[in-house]
Amino acid sequence: MKPQPKSVSVVAVIAASALLAAGCGSKGEKTSTEGAGKSGTLAIGASMSLTGKLAREGELTKEGYQLCQDKVNAKGGADIGGKKVKLDIQFQDDTSKPDTAAQLVDQFNDKGVKLILSSYGSANTEAQAAVIERNGQVMADSAGADNKIFEKGYKRTFAVLSPATEYAASIVKAIKELAQPQPKTVAILSADDGFSKTVAEGGAAAAKEAGYTVLPTQLFPNGTSDVSSALTKVKGQKPDVIIGSVHLVEGVAIVKQAKELGVVPSGGFGETVAPPTPDFAKTLGKDAENVLGSSQWTDSTKGSDKYFGSAKDYAKDINAKYGHAPDYHDAEASAACLALVMAAEKAGSTDADKVRDALAGLDTESFFGHIKFNDKGQNVYKPMSVIQVQGGKAVTVWPTDSAEAKMIWPGTKK
Amino acid sequence: MSQFLQATIYGLLQGGLLALIAVGFSLVWGVMNVVNLAHGSFVILGAYIGWKLNSAMGLDPFLGMLVAAVVLFAVGYVLQRWLINLVINGPIFITLLLTFGLDLLIVQGMNIAFSADYRSIKTSYAGDSLALGSVRVPVGRLLAFVIAVIVTFALVALVNRTRTGLSIMATGMDRGAARLMGIRARHAYALTFAIAAALAGMAGTMVGTVGTFNPAAAGGFTLLSFVIAVLGGLGNMYGALVGGLLIGLVEAWGGQYLPGTWVNALAFAVLVLVLIFRPSGLVGRAYYAARQEV
Repeated sequence: MKPQPKSVSVVAVIAASALLAAGCGSKGEKTSTEGAGKSGTLAIGASMSLTGKLAREGELTKEGYQLCQDKVNAKGGADIGGKKVKLDIQFQDDTSKPDTAAQLVDQFNDKGVKLILSSYGSANTEAQAAVIERNGQVMADSAGADNKIFEKGYKRTFAVLSPATEYAASIVKAIKELAQPQPKTVAILSADDGFSKTVAEGGAAAAKEAGYTVLPTQLFPNGTSDVSSALTKVKGQKPDVIIGSVHLVEGVAIVKQAKELGVVPSGGFGETVAPPTPDFAKTLGKDAENVLGSSQWTDSTKGSDKYFGSAKDYAKDINAKYGHAPDYHDAEASAACLALVMAAEKAGSTDADKVRDALAGLDTESFFGHIKFNDKGQNVYKPMSVIQVQGGKAVTVWPTDSAEAKMIWPGTKK
Repeated sequence: MSQFLQATIYGLLQGGLLALIAVGFSLVWGVMNVVNLAHGSFVILGAYIGWKLNSAMGLDPFLGMLVAAVVLFAVGYVLQRWLINLVINGPIFITLLLTFGLDLLIVQGMNIAFSADYRSIKTSYAGDSLALGSVRVPVGRLLAFVIAVIVTFALVALVNRTRTGLSIMATGMDRGAARLMGIRARHAYALTFAIAAALAGMAGTMVGTVGTFNPAAAGGFTLLSFVIAVLGGLGNMYGALVGGLLIGLVEAWGGQYLPGTWVNALAFAVLVLVLIFRPSGLVGRAYYAARQEV
């Protein structure tokens, strides 16, 4: 082939400009590299999964942090020691990789940024928590729910969300309280990542406590869209309830492939975090009907605070700013940011140690529900909501005092 | 027994779909010695085209698949003719780097255009299944399987029976000699790549119909295609079909009798075994494993 110098140079220019653009992007929205307090702003570091496999959740988390910054700054800023201080959250992309997320925390520390908002997911957060502890920073954790993170004696990571063991367990509790007729056998299918396994263990323990026969947990690879093996294995044992400890993609696969394989539990499906996501009903259509799920937050959650108001107000704000219904990922991110701001206000300081102590003693109501931490840094004081897909929408059915609708049971009878 | 049968049927159907995903990858590798790391992103791009046609115009995915094939054919032709051909004589690392870059661009482009949300193409029938005794045969997967087999045979007919196909194979075997016979190698390469991209696009639409997808899934399909192409062997159009069916069956059986998380390791274990005992792949030709580019 003849060399074509002209087109080569065109390609080179395009490639170079693409690289340049990428390079600029990764530096993030850097407006203030100063530490806390200078020029009237409070710098907060946030390593975010904006690209890579967690990009979807990462983007929602960023929305939550961003809304928090807007809300606080709209009131003139946080009131710290009698002075109004505006938030300046610095976002950096960790490409969904725990190593990078941890490195970014180090980089923030080098720049003097001591207050950190967590990345998305347990793996990232676990890697970050170790660095936070070493550097004497303090982190508000919005999405790392795995109990493992909190078993290591860390003193500087505080999670606003309910721990992983509650995700499947709350579905079991809702079924125990509301389902008529009661199921006898429960099968738990789980993705094989650390978080999902912890969720599955919590669910199995709750099901045994409720007196159900629990089949051995079937695992499948995290992120797979083929769970047919696990379903074929439980089919012969005719479980009354199938609970998936899953993310969206595996949750969708369970419902889809159960239909393909003719696996019909007499009671219904529970799918932890998949059904609360609007994509679940959109993707599955009528097959999503009556599937139960658990959520850290719904817009019927009780409580309010001075920045966000109630859960209903929060939903309105997300809708106005981002044009979609709020996802619980939005809410938990905003709540983590809120906890950090409230702790700084309570401490009257932006010093990391003082903020840490204030977080440890925080006890407040918010749009996200009760925020209070046990000595491990977990928020065990807030119940999870159990939702059910009804008419294409996720509605809260448990706990009954904040329920929007009655649970439909059995969920599989059409 | 019915559990075993069910797993076997499901594995076979899944294998057919995998074969269709991988056949283009194998073709490009066999003919041009290009390991196309952007192959998975073509699959996902095809899925998005099928999804968009279905959600915006209500077009059935098994028709939308043809549109996806046409669009990706054009994209593939242009990419090869005016981009990859520029470096086709360079060391394999250069083409690896280029296709890796293309993959990043396409995946991120889809992230921006379609967001990272999971999608699925909805039909009224693909999720249903035919009951054969205690065994269920899912309709969507059965259709996808039938198409995969038809496409493989059509591809064999194309490369063995038509002038275009013969010129592609000739260029793959000995580019210098082919050019001396009056074959335009640039065009033959571009056609090869275009056909591969078109098949990837068709496979993508079917992936979207029986499963879920988002841009991040692209890498997984590239990896699977790689395993299947090596397993089946290069230089034989049936290679991808054999490799795909084998992976489908191994994963289905493995899923039944081993802990569920071993499934991924299993595919690679089979790959290692095949490489030890049949280095040119199950039905591949030794020539392709040993050739040197001149």
